[in-house]
Amino acid sequence: MNRRTVRNWALGLWMLIVIWAAFFYAPAAQGFKGESARIVFFHVPQAWVAVLAFCVNLIASLRYMRTRDPLDDARAATAARLGLIFSILATVTGSLFARVMWGSFWNWDPREVSIAILLLVYAAYFALREAIPDDERRASLSASYAVLAFVTMPFLIFVVPRIYWSLHPDTIINTRGSLDMESRMFQTLMGSLAGFTWLFFWLYSLDVRLARVKIARQAREGE
Amino acid sequence: MRRSSLASETAAVLAKELRSELRSRVALNAVGLFALTTLIAVAYQIGPYRIHEQDRPHLLAALLWIILFFAALSGLARVFVKEEDAHTAKTLRLAARPLAVFGGKLLFNLLLLLALECCIVPLYLALMGYAVIGVWGLVAVLVTGSLALATTSTLVAAIISRASGSGTLFAVLTVPIALPLLVVLIQGTRAAAASAAFAAVLPALQAIVSLAGVQLVASLYLFPVVWHE
Amino acid sequence: MPAAESLVWVAAVTAVIWAGVFSYCLALDRRVRRLEDGE
Repeated sequence: MNRRTVRNWALGLWMLIVIWAAFFYAPAAQGFKGESARIVFFHVPQAWVAVLAFCVNLIASLRYMRTRDPLDDARAATAARLGLIFSILATVTGSLFARVMWGSFWNWDPREVSIAILLLVYAAYFALREAIPDDERRASLSASYAVLAFVTMPFLIFVVPRIYWSLHPDTIINTRGSLDMESRMFQTLMGSLAGFTWLFFWLYSLDVRLARVKIARQAREGE
Repeated sequence: MRRSSLASETAAVLAKELRSELRSRVALNAVGLFALTTLIAVAYQIGPYRIHEQDRPHLLAALLWIILFFAALSGLARVFVKEEDAHTAKTLRLAARPLAVFGGKLLFNLLLLLALECCIVPLYLALMGYAVIGVWGLVAVLVTGSLALATTSTLVAAIISRASGSGTLFAVLTVPIALPLLVVLIQGTRAAAASAAFAAVLPALQAIVSLAGVQLVASLYLFPVVWHE
Repeated sequence: MPAAESLVWVAAVTAVIWAGVFSYCLALDRRVRRLEDGE
């Protein structure tokens, strides 16, 4: 059994522990409907990974614009693919939570909207890539779009809620915002966060290694 | 070796755009007719009397920007798509430096938006019975909002013109980036409509101006990459 | 709300989902490794 295999199975075990902790170790949260709060242990890390993927995509896009290395483009695309998956997951789990807590699947809470817009950005990114058959052009145009989208994001996350809140004080308070959590809940959340981040990097590195192999093969065939 | 300055090249690009547009009026027609049709449909169906008093501030501000935004989506991509279609893009690349091209086309899109607003906004206010107290605040929101919207649209237009150039792709790419802007614009419009105090629109204006600023700076870096692809 | 049993059930379903995702990742890992070694 080599190191990599051990590491992978360690992640498998870690997530099982996280699942156990989320359902049995952490107490039921105060003020939440029954056990519904437990979905937060999965929802928050998914949203976090979606944002992390966005950052990785940005770095890879900027690097591509500098190096023109197809591997950097592969890195950007991989990050975006994972980001899309996790933002869908985050939106769905967030919706389910909203349904149980507040009775409706969607409440226009600023954070819900941010994740949904991130999802739209990822979808647009892939729509753009699909529309360009040439490899290099696809890489640099999608990189440009990714950078443009990235500089716009802080406004959505920080500026808009401030204006939004001042005009809509009756909007549902996002209880996730308050971090005065009981310690076992906090531990579970951190554990889940670590697990999901680990999973992201594992999938990301797998995809990048796959791309590296493909690029090497293409280079050889080109000779 | 360039003997002309960036400013004069930008002005030249803008002049060319204006000349060709005034000759054919394609963009003006597309954008203007779209906005007018939507406005008339909305005004006819909804009108000033069918909205409840407490909903009026929200709805009237939102509907105005929906009309303007979709009109923009229908026409702002033309500045680049028509160059690709007519195969004049290559000549333009040789004739002017990238930032001049971007500047000229951005200014054209901005003027187009402002012209559109000059026609549509007064009509909207009249037809929908929208009583705006802070008129100057509204003007400030419209002008800065147009700059921000034009910046976003022009860069995305450049990107899609090098892809398939389709209007759908333009819309798909612009919407996620323009949504935060739209939200702020609607809030700003509501604030301006409700009060004449400058402080009311200030938060929105700050957000719009900083967004426009950030995107402009990003475009300075991104546009040359896109243009030479 | 019947806490204990349904919680166990949901936890089990989540674990099964994770098992599925994990096996997919392992399979992908194996495939990538095979391709890399084949080079």
